[in-house]
Amino acid sequence: MDILLSSIVAGLLLGMVLAIVALGLTIIFGVMDIVNFAHGEFLMIGMYTGLLTAQATGIDPLLTLPVAAAVGFVLGIICYTGFIRFLLRGPMIAQLLGTFGLMLLLRNLALLIFGSEDRALHHGILVGKSFDIGMGIIIPATKLAAAGLSIAAFGGVWLLMNRTRIGQALTATSLNAQGARYMGIPTQRMNALAWGIGGGTVTIAGALIVNFWSVNPFIGLLFTMIAFAIVALGGFGSVPGAFFAGLVVGIITEIPGFWDFLTYTFNWEWMADVPMTSLKYMWVYLAYFLIMVLRPRGLFGWKQ
Amino acid sequence: MKSLLKSGVLVLSLLLAIGLILPSGATAEKVIKIGAIYPLTGGAAAAGRELRAGVELAVELANSAVANVDMSMAKNAGITSMGGAKIEIIFKDHEGNPTLGADLAKKLILDDKVDGLLGCYHSSVTKTVSAVAEQYGVPMINGSSTSPALTTRGFKWFWRTTPHDVWFTRDLFEFMNGLTEGKVKGVAAVPKKDIMTLAAACEKTEWGSFVSEVIEQFSKEYGYDLKKSMLYAKEAPDLSSEVRSLKASRADVMLFASYTSDAILMIKTLKAQKAQPKIVWGQDAGFEVPEFRATLGDSVVGILTRTVFLPQVVQVKKVAGQVNALYKAKTGNDLTGASARSFTGLQTWVHVLEKAGSTEPAAIQKAANDLNIPGNELVVPWAGIKFSTTGDEIGQNTLGSGLIGQYQKAADGQIVLEIVYPFDVASADMIYPFPKY
Amino acid sequence: METIKNALDFSDFPRFDLIIAGLVFLFLLTFPVFPFSAFAMATIIQFLMFSLYGMGWNTIGGYGGQVDLGKAQYVGIGAYTTAVMLIRWDIPFWVSMPVGVFFAVCWSFIIGYPLFRLKGHYFAIATIATSLVLKDLFEVWGFVGAARGLEISPIKYHPPDFLRLIFKEDAYYYYVLLGFFVLGILYINWFRKSRLGFQLRCIKDNEDVARSLGINVHLAKVKTYAIATAFVSVVGSFHACYIKVIEPEDTMSLNISILIALMAMLGGAGSLWGPIIGAGILIPLKSYLKEWLGATAGLVGIDLVIYAMIIMAISAFEPKGIWGIVQRVRRRKRK
Repeated sequence: MDILLSSIVAGLLLGMVLAIVALGLTIIFGVMDIVNFAHGEFLMIGMYTGLLTAQATGIDPLLTLPVAAAVGFVLGIICYTGFIRFLLRGPMIAQLLGTFGLMLLLRNLALLIFGSEDRALHHGILVGKSFDIGMGIIIPATKLAAAGLSIAAFGGVWLLMNRTRIGQALTATSLNAQGARYMGIPTQRMNALAWGIGGGTVTIAGALIVNFWSVNPFIGLLFTMIAFAIVALGGFGSVPGAFFAGLVVGIITEIPGFWDFLTYTFNWEWMADVPMTSLKYMWVYLAYFLIMVLRPRGLFGWKQ
Repeated sequence: MKSLLKSGVLVLSLLLAIGLILPSGATAEKVIKIGAIYPLTGGAAAAGRELRAGVELAVELANSAVANVDMSMAKNAGITSMGGAKIEIIFKDHEGNPTLGADLAKKLILDDKVDGLLGCYHSSVTKTVSAVAEQYGVPMINGSSTSPALTTRGFKWFWRTTPHDVWFTRDLFEFMNGLTEGKVKGVAAVPKKDIMTLAAACEKTEWGSFVSEVIEQFSKEYGYDLKKSMLYAKEAPDLSSEVRSLKASRADVMLFASYTSDAILMIKTLKAQKAQPKIVWGQDAGFEVPEFRATLGDSVVGILTRTVFLPQVVQVKKVAGQVNALYKAKTGNDLTGASARSFTGLQTWVHVLEKAGSTEPAAIQKAANDLNIPGNELVVPWAGIKFSTTGDEIGQNTLGSGLIGQYQKAADGQIVLEIVYPFDVASADMIYPFPKY
Repeated sequence: METIKNALDFSDFPRFDLIIAGLVFLFLLTFPVFPFSAFAMATIIQFLMFSLYGMGWNTIGGYGGQVDLGKAQYVGIGAYTTAVMLIRWDIPFWVSMPVGVFFAVCWSFIIGYPLFRLKGHYFAIATIATSLVLKDLFEVWGFVGAARGLEISPIKYHPPDFLRLIFKEDAYYYYVLLGFFVLGILYINWFRKSRLGFQLRCIKDNEDVARSLGINVHLAKVKTYAIATAFVSVVGSFHACYIKVIEPEDTMSLNISILIALMAMLGGAGSLWGPIIGAGILIPLKSYLKEWLGATAGLVGIDLVIYAMIIMAISAFEPKGIWGIVQRVRRRKRK
């Protein structure tokens, strides 16, 4: 039983963190209909930012979030104004090519600057500590903090989008860019802002994640794929959709845990031989495929 | 129109220029070129550094006469049977990628015209590189890849000095049996039912997957219950579901085959999830590199690892101490299984070349097959180096042996590896069971 | 016959293009005779392989307008079919290659039907998803060696072996591949003038109009997708015999899928020469950049940085690729 509970808890916690990774992607997509292949690389940059800031200044990793957010925000705006806006005029092929090129660029710049070896945080208030809440469920403190901050971030973004003027301007642009322009909302600036916010949220996610996952220049792609799956599931452009879809995907990655639960509860030895842990991301991709084919709108989406 | 023409001409002339410039073959006086392909970047870069340093030290000793080292290689300057010819190593980085390794091997053979190859640590890369060497009839010596399959392919141009995983894993099971019989220093006999259940997590490429199979085989043979056996990706950023799966199996003994970054991650995750096995054992590789100890600090105390060399060996072998002192002066670290074996790999090349007296492939091949290096020449605690030439395994050194070490905290607070197997050379009491996280 | 005549008919290209093509072809024909380094030979073989991959991709990605980023799975199917059949049952390449194509096409139909209900980015990402799913499955499937992969033993067969396509010298592989290359070009030349080719162009322009004209859009796309997979699978089979070691991480990775699409797009999707130009520029560029710059310790990755910047530049300023630039220049000249 504890296997089942640990898996569920782990899945939900991870899901909340993955949700915030996907948040940036869905904002960018919502506002300008571009799919950002380089999304995972932003995450990776956020991770390095958090790690290096903590190591350089000696402050606790959790306090590096503002730094990471700033870096992400600026990077997002630079990417938009320096490159992405040229892509928008072109066909979708060009956009895919372009963001893919951006992905390669960021990944290899990181490789050039940081080297290919894994780096991880070893010190910090919460690093390495966990809470044992009984029933065999162990919650690493860093994951709990990340999940909590993720919820806070979601709340913040939701407030931003719905309660502030800027947020409403963004929403207007995403619903109908031309109409928004007629109302005096400058599309270019909104686009840049979307990239800024999108970039900022995902680098915050990175600075959180680096507390419990190690970073190297190549991890971006996996997260990009997971983020796509979450955004597709939740509905491209929907902020609450990203949150719930994140939880769902988090649970999906815990399928090996559920499988183990069934294996040991019913003692079916043959089940232990199935290499479930190796396939945990495959289920995510499969889920993406099925959702796209069966319900392209996702759970909450309004864009097709 | 013009741009098409221009780009076409540019490409063609580029290719022509490169093609005409690249084929080297500029030869000076007799220099013996050996290509060494190692993971100098990537997840095992830490090991790559050790490997490179080991080879470089060996080349220094080979090319010049060095006093205070009781090794025939060190006493001579260059290869005496070839008029003092010096050895030159061309290092290449395979990044852990087997196809890249094969490409590099091809280039070394065809463009750099090396006389032989050395490498490659990752069994998956050694597999492809040796296939290329075999295809072109270029001799290759392998110092540290332990997948058993490498010497059962019937290759005639491949020799491996290190013992392989069947031996090492058998050591593990002999050790566990010894534990139940009270043979382990400092531990009373442990009832078999206490360490009956095993769980294994191995990285999924050539090396790890074979270790996994060998563990399964021996579990049956020695009568242990392997509850869970899984393969994982060494580049995975997160191993928590793997560790949860291991915990769920409630195994008493956890066995691992991991490279550097995944070994560190695995132990960190085990600690974070408060896993509680009685024995934790690693099949060398990542468990042995200095980074492992440096990064994890006290968390490694109690972990067992198969190894081929520990600093304690210097107490038993004088020449090991002498070389270790030189190595420490060069790199700041003691020799490890990786560096000791890459050193030995190059040393084997020196002996083979001495015996062959020429760089003719056929002469090298004969010399290697007739080779007999006595144990006292080696820094590693083996009986010697002699390659099998008949039977299922060809080119395998039959005189090697392994050790099992355990990380323990010394009196001065430093973390050291103590020998716990073979029982008669144990250097300290074993810590059993594995300390609580 | 009509088909063959069509395939050989290049008359709708300007004379100049044909002369260049002829020269390049002459060069390719005589390449192994020159004393090029092994490195150059390996590079040019890669160029031919990726040209073929690109040509296949181009049918659905270029002429069809649906960006497919999951071609690597078909490389895998082709490669593994050939490798498994050779290793287990000693079946020669010329038999296992068509079998590989058969499996690839079957798989393409299975996922193609649902896949083509999607468009644009969704389609692209879905293709990535299917490719990754298949790769993950291959990584745990013992029959194909799981993550360890398969190895075609270099000593079991006696080169030169034309049946099994095992050779010692690269030159043999080169000429076999060149043969496929020529066939590929002829096929695409036929394809773009065929009924299916016209249907595709119509669909790419405006799908609804195409439908109203009575074209079965879905079927056309699925058929074209099958053709693309057939191309890729053939080269995949060749890859197995050439490299002799295949593993999922290497052969079916996302990188390969993206490179294929990238080269075709860079060269000019939707044109006959585009993929070839794309491969012809990017492959040597990649190889030589890596050789000159990448090996220097401390500069690892800089070759790909330059590569990435080129990609970004082209995508931002000339999404039709290099062929697009050529055509633009021509149009301007005509004025």
